[in-house]
Amino acid sequence: MDEKIVVPSRAGEKPALPRPLTWSWSILLGRQEFVVLVLLLVIGVFLSLRTDTFFTSRNLFNVARAFSWIAIAAFGESMVIIIGGIDLSVGAVMALAGLISALCLQAGLPVLVAVAAGLLTGGLVGGVNGVMVGRVKLPPFIVTLGTMSIARGVTFGLTGGWPVRNLPQGFRLLGQYDLPLGSWFLPLPVLVMLGLAALVSLLLGQTVLGRYIYALSNSERALLVCGVNTAQIRVLVYTLCGLLTAVGGLLMTARLGVAAPTAAVGYELDIIAAAVIGGTSLFGGEGSILGVLLGAAIMQVLRNGLVLLGFPAYWQAAAIGAMILVAILLDYWRRMSAAL
Amino acid sequence: MIHQLLWGLILLLAGGLVGCQVYAESAGKLNPDTDLSRETLTIAWIPKALDNPVFELGRQGAVQKATELTTSGPVQVEVLYVGSVAADAAEQVRVMEDVIARGVDAIAISCNDPTACIDPIQKAVAAGIPVMTWDSDSPESQRFTYLGVDNYQAGRAAADLLVRAMGPRGKVAILTGVPGAFNLEERIRGFKDSIAAYPGIQIVATVASNDDINLGVQLVEETMQAHPDLDGWFFVGMWPLFAERGSMPLWEEAALHRGMKTVAFDTLPVELELLRDGYLSGLVGQKYWGWGYDTIQIIYDHVIEGKSFPPFINSGMDIVTHNNVEAMLRAWKTNDFSQPLPDPFFPDPFR
Repeated sequence: MDEKIVVPSRAGEKPALPRPLTWSWSILLGRQEFVVLVLLLVIGVFLSLRTDTFFTSRNLFNVARAFSWIAIAAFGESMVIIIGGIDLSVGAVMALAGLISALCLQAGLPVLVAVAAGLLTGGLVGGVNGVMVGRVKLPPFIVTLGTMSIARGVTFGLTGGWPVRNLPQGFRLLGQYDLPLGSWFLPLPVLVMLGLAALVSLLLGQTVLGRYIYALSNSERALLVCGVNTAQIRVLVYTLCGLLTAVGGLLMTARLGVAAPTAAVGYELDIIAAAVIGGTSLFGGEGSILGVLLGAAIMQVLRNGLVLLGFPAYWQAAAIGAMILVAILLDYWRRMSAAL
Repeated sequence: MIHQLLWGLILLLAGGLVGCQVYAESAGKLNPDTDLSRETLTIAWIPKALDNPVFELGRQGAVQKATELTTSGPVQVEVLYVGSVAADAAEQVRVMEDVIARGVDAIAISCNDPTACIDPIQKAVAAGIPVMTWDSDSPESQRFTYLGVDNYQAGRAAADLLVRAMGPRGKVAILTGVPGAFNLEERIRGFKDSIAAYPGIQIVATVASNDDINLGVQLVEETMQAHPDLDGWFFVGMWPLFAERGSMPLWEEAALHRGMKTVAFDTLPVELELLRDGYLSGLVGQKYWGWGYDTIQIIYDHVIEGKSFPPFINSGMDIVTHNNVEAMLRAWKTNDFSQPLPDPFFPDPFR
C-alpha cells in the first residue's frame, strides 16, 4: 500500500483529517460519546435508585455480556459505515459463523479448528461483500442484502431448521467462563470485547490505514490521486467486519450452547443502531469505537432496566425505539450548535 | 474480471433468492414401488415456515401416512412439502399460487395469516383442488376442515399443570414470543383466565422474547433478578430451553433447589430431558406428528372415499409430566407417535 498520506489541497477537496484521539475536556464535551455517556449515567443512576438489582456486579456483568457480541459486530459495522458503506449481513453472519463452528464440533473437530472455521466463514462473507462493493462497485445495501439472504439460507439448508446442540464444554467456556478478579467475575466475552475495542481503536486512530478509512467516504478522489488503492481498503474493511461479526457470533453461540438457524434474526438493526447512537455518521467519515461501545451498552442497559422495573413487555420495543431517537436527536442538536 | 464477478454476483443473488424460498419437493416421492399405472393422489403439505423444526416432524408423519396408504390401498399417495423459509404471509400466498398452477390433487396448509389465506384457498377450490387447514386456520375461507389444537384450552391446561405443581398461591411470570402472535395470545388468555380463579396467585411479570433464544435467556435471568422469590414460570414457547444448561444459572438454581415450578409449551426432546431431570414440571404440546399423519388420512378419506368432515377437528394435545416423559422420549427415539401416552396425572406426579 502507498505510504503517502499528505492529501494535496489542489485536488479541490477538503483534506481528510482523522479524528484525533485526544482526551481534553473541550473536545470531549463536543462529542457524541460524551452525550451517550451522560445519558447512560442518567439511566444507570435512575435504575440504581429505583431497583435494588440493577447496580449489582452480577447484573452489570450480565448486561455487559449481553451486549458484548452486539458491540463486537458493531465495531466492524462502524468501520464499514465510516467508509460510507453499510453491511446488512451481520446478523445472518453471526448465525452462520456460530453454526459452522457448531457443525465442526459435532463432526468431532477440535475447538480450535471449529473456531477457526467459524471465523473464516465470517471473513469469507465479508470478503465477498468487500469485493462486490469495492471492486465491482455495486451498492453495499443491495450486495449485503443478498449475502444476508444467502448466509441465512445456508443456515436453514445445513440444519433443516433444527438447532445444533450438545456442544463440548471447551467451546461453551468461551462464552460462559467468568474470570475471577477479586470479588468480581468478568465474563470472557466482555474481556474479548474490550480487547478488540482497543485493537480496532488503535487501527483507526494510530495507523495510516485508519486515516485512509476515515478519509475514504468524503475524499476518495484525493486518496486516488495519491495512489491509494481504495478498492483494496474497501475489501479489507468489509472482510474485517465479517471477521469481527463472526467473533460475536461465536461468543453468542458458546454462551447459549446452541447454534440455531434462527439466531440473531434482526440483529443487524441493533448493530447498526449501536454504531449510529455512538456517533458514527451514516454519511461516513466519522465515528469512534468508544462511541460504538457506549451505543451498544445504552440499548442493552435500557432493555435490562425495563425488565427489572417490570415495564410491560408489549411496550418495551416502543420505549427502546424512543430512546434511539432521543440519542440521535441529541447528536443532531450537538452538531447544529457546533456548526453555529 | 469485472464480467466474471458480475456473473458471480448474479449467481449469488439467484442463490439467495432460492434460499429465500427453498422449494423442498422431496418427501414422499421416493416410494420404491412407484407404479405409473396406478392413480396418484398428490397432496401439497404447506407449513407456516421451513425454519421451525416441529414442521419437520409433521412432514415425517405425512410421509409415513402416505407410505402406509400407498402400500395398503389402490392409490399412490404422494406428499409435496413446500413452503417459505420464514413465516411470511405474502410468501406463503405465492407458494399456494405456485402449487395451484402446478396442479395438485389437494392442499393441506398451516396459514400464516387467516385473512391472507382466504384468496388463494378460494382460487384453489375454484380450480377443483380441495383444501384443508391444520395447526393454523383460515376460518372464513372455503377449506373443508381444520385440524388443530384449541390454543385457549391449551393455555388453560398449562395453568392447570402449574397450579397442580405449585399449589394455589405464589408469584408467577410469563415468557412469550412475539407480542401479538395469535396462537401465543390465545394461550396466554387461557392461562390468565384459569389463574384468575386462584386469588393467591399473582402474575408479576410478562416478558417477550421475540422468538429469540438469546433474548429469552436474558429475560428469564433478568426476571429472576427482579423477582428472586418467584414461584412459577409459564413459558408460552420453548425459546430459552434450547440453550444449554448453565446458561440460566438463576432459573436452574431456583428450579432445582428452591422448588420453583415451570410449565412450558411444546414437547421437544430437549424439554423432555429437562423435565426428566427436574427443571420442568409439565409440558403442553401439540401433536406435531399428527399434523402430517392425520391430515393426510383426512384428505385421503375426503378425496378418495368421499367422506365429509366437520369444520373443526380437535387434534387434542399432549400433556407431559414425570408420569409419561419416558414414553414421550421413546416416541421421539423410535419416531413412532402412534401409541397413546400414559395418564399424566395418575398417579399424581406432584406429590
